[in-house]
Amino acid sequence: MRFTIAWRLGLVLVMVGLLGTGLTGYFAYQASREQLLKSSEERLLTATQVLMRQVTVALNDVKADVRLIAQHPQAPRILQRSTAGFQALSEENVAKIFEGLMVVHPEYFQMRLIEADNHGMERIRVDRDMGGLLRISGDDLQEKGHYPYVFETLSLPPGSLYVSRATINHETGAHAGEGRPALRVAAPIHDARRNAIGLIVINVDLQGLFAQLAADLPPELKLYLANGRGDYLIHPNPSRSFAFDRGQVARVQDEFPAMAAALNGSQKEESHLVTSNRASDAEPLVAAFGIRTIPDMEGNDAFVLGLSQPLESVLSESKQLASITLGIVLSFSAMTVLLAFFLARAFNRPFYRIVAEIRRFAVDGKIGNLPVNRRDEIGELAHSIQMMEKQIQHQIEDLQTQQEMLDHLASHDSLTGLPNRRMFLDRLQHALARAKRQNEQLLLLFIDLDDFKIINDTHGHGAGDAVLQAVAQRLRALLRESDTAARLGGDEFIILFEGTWDDAQIEQMVHKVQTAMAEPIPYQDIELHSGGSIGYSRFPQDGSTSSTLIAAADQAMYNCKTNGR
Amino acid sequence: MISASTFIAACRRSIVSVAALLALAATPPLWAAQPVLRVLAWPGYAEPEVVQRFELEHQVKVELTVVTSDATLWEKVSAHNHDFDVFAVNTAELQRYIAANLVQPVHAGNIPNTHNQLARFRDLSAIPGLMHNGKAYALPYTYTQMGLIYDRKQFRPPPHSITALWDERYRGKVIAYDGGTHNFSLAAQSLRLDSPFRIAPKDIPRAAERLIELRRNTLGFYTQPEESIQLFMRHGAALMFANYGMQQVQMLKQAGADIAYVIPQEGALAWLDCWSITRDAHDPALAHAWIDHLLDPQASRLLVERQGLSNTMVDDSNGQPNGKPLWLEPPEDTIRREMLWERIRSGDRLTRVLAP
Repeated sequence: MRFTIAWRLGLVLVMVGLLGTGLTGYFAYQASREQLLKSSEERLLTATQVLMRQVTVALNDVKADVRLIAQHPQAPRILQRSTAGFQALSEENVAKIFEGLMVVHPEYFQMRLIEADNHGMERIRVDRDMGGLLRISGDDLQEKGHYPYVFETLSLPPGSLYVSRATINHETGAHAGEGRPALRVAAPIHDARRNAIGLIVINVDLQGLFAQLAADLPPELKLYLANGRGDYLIHPNPSRSFAFDRGQVARVQDEFPAMAAALNGSQKEESHLVTSNRASDAEPLVAAFGIRTIPDMEGNDAFVLGLSQPLESVLSESKQLASITLGIVLSFSAMTVLLAFFLARAFNRPFYRIVAEIRRFAVDGKIGNLPVNRRDEIGELAHSIQMMEKQIQHQIEDLQTQQEMLDHLASHDSLTGLPNRRMFLDRLQHALARAKRQNEQLLLLFIDLDDFKIINDTHGHGAGDAVLQAVAQRLRALLRESDTAARLGGDEFIILFEGTWDDAQIEQMVHKVQTAMAEPIPYQDIELHSGGSIGYSRFPQDGSTSSTLIAAADQAMYNCKTNGR
Repeated sequence: MISASTFIAACRRSIVSVAALLALAATPPLWAAQPVLRVLAWPGYAEPEVVQRFELEHQVKVELTVVTSDATLWEKVSAHNHDFDVFAVNTAELQRYIAANLVQPVHAGNIPNTHNQLARFRDLSAIPGLMHNGKAYALPYTYTQMGLIYDRKQFRPPPHSITALWDERYRGKVIAYDGGTHNFSLAAQSLRLDSPFRIAPKDIPRAAERLIELRRNTLGFYTQPEESIQLFMRHGAALMFANYGMQQVQMLKQAGADIAYVIPQEGALAWLDCWSITRDAHDPALAHAWIDHLLDPQASRLLVERQGLSNTMVDDSNGQPNGKPLWLEPPEDTIRREMLWERIRSGDRLTRVLAP
């Protein structure tokens, strides 16, 4: 295949097409991937925010429970100790309330009423134990006055609440809650004189609480919870939860460096979105974190709540997208190649046809079948070429005509139409050569018009011309096809006869010519009388070259004229 | 519309990622190269810049675990010995580690910085508890006395006895340390028992009862120095048992508290913390290098400047008041002390505390 313009054009088309589809595909993929990532980040962020709201709601529920009991008239009465019977009944009732609430709230580890006196003695305590609730009494009740949730709560004004930091419960005898992460929500109980005389505490199972909240999350989403310093309280990898309780450090900002600014800064209550880039010890994640200060919490601490999703699972959709995009790009590329091929062919064909036609025209000059009926540029080109061909054809014909005319002019006498001296000499040469070759003879008649000068002078040049024309006419009538009559100039004519002539025949011919020339010539209203002196020479008798032959004939004519006069 | 620069950037990205892949294929994986040294230390013993320098100089990663009580330290080293390489322990505690075969000898000859130590810390055989069968099992690092910190506005005159912790006038204004071994020693001191480190079985109930009384007199208990400072400041405490000694004094003064430090007449418990290497240490040579590193001028200086502790290089009591140091000795039964203390701290009354 030749590397023609059409194919080059085709190639360019293919390249442009491939580049176009390739780039479109690539950027479409890139944009969709970004979009996917963004939308999944937004999804995570929304989920985190929802979860955060749920946490607040759940904590508010706990607070409401604590406050409800702390502000119940029964509570101060128990602490102020009335009669033993009434006391026992009251305690029984409150314990029932505790148990009722703990049945409804499986995330409650423990509910207690603690008095301010007796070193923070527990008065009513219900623990959750394996499979059930346990009313703790007697010696098993403990003094808790030295724990922050007691002394901090007791220092609060009426109506306030205390929420402890999330810690591992190291208090012995705490049953299900022992050694487990817990949050303590407490409210002080005041007497009529607004003295804090005790408190209500609920130990909330941190993991249980969050497990409930996170139960509806898709399984690939992992939950993170940290305190305001970033220490993990809940982490997909349990060895990172409560690392500070084991003297180690595992913090959000170490795993997700983008969180450092948010955690160190004072701008809390914000949602932050980050993507973990630390692929060294874990798979890359997309994670959304929210920070919320928990009202009433010890030290104004905050919760950092986060959800993560493996980047892999976010991008799995984009992988699918990539393969679809690739398929589209490939099929479009194939279509481009095919299209370019057909286009190149469609483009090539009329050109080849035009070129073939032009070649043919060059050879035979005939206008061929050009695609002139097309209404496009090729049609226009074909049309132009056809016009040009026609023009060329026309000009060539003109040239030929002119050439012929010129040839005629160069070899004939314009007045009489007889061959001129040049042409005659040419023919004589040819005839001589032929005669010499074939041992034939030639006869030359030299004719000179008599009285031509007188006619010219008397009747004008028009008469002279008429005479010359008439003589030529008559000579032509006398001759055979093979004979040549010519005007040598002025009033001199010469005739060449081929073939063998005897004297009688020559005399007869001379006579015929003389007779023909003696005939009067009508000119306008008059008749002109001329006549001719004739001399002849023969080949080979009188000479062997054209000049000698002509000279001999001329001489003979001269002799004749002289003698005749 | 795709701009040329975006296109070029895209191309460059792909080139870069290809190059990164090639580079990745050419270099050995990182995790194959970097060993890890697992360190157990007390707060302030291994400052971040000290750790960082060690990591750089030895091309290792240091995994630091901070302990805040002897019980925790024992639990870690005894139950997870192979998870740690080197740890800081006081001379009294070291005894039971040696007895339980949890540590291996330390070779001072491999630790050049020991030459800079004071003579009394270089003579290892003269320090009780370091040697066993002629081999040293730890090298001294830092020491302090555990005195009393008091608020100068609330105490006039200053407390002179350890019994001030029990003084009912300061109920709810006393802060104590959450550690069974020391607290039983304090109880023994306040009961004027013969030795705070060897409480006779018959005296255990008295000591436990004394600690219940302490519990009832305190505001709360702390484990970390920061925690103690926060408690002290927030609740206007009057008296605090300084388990971390001068470390806490320094921190409180920085926090702006008007406090003073006193060594009670009964004498202050004093600890000398040493670096020791676990039996199952992965790389004992690296552990020796760590000890050497912490005995160098930078780490030693930071101990004094930042923690208020004394190092073993300079003979300067660092402004510590004079008083009889009671160098810690192995107690009669640490496990029992800790078990009882857990119950006491949880709020149990004497009958429950002493229950089997």
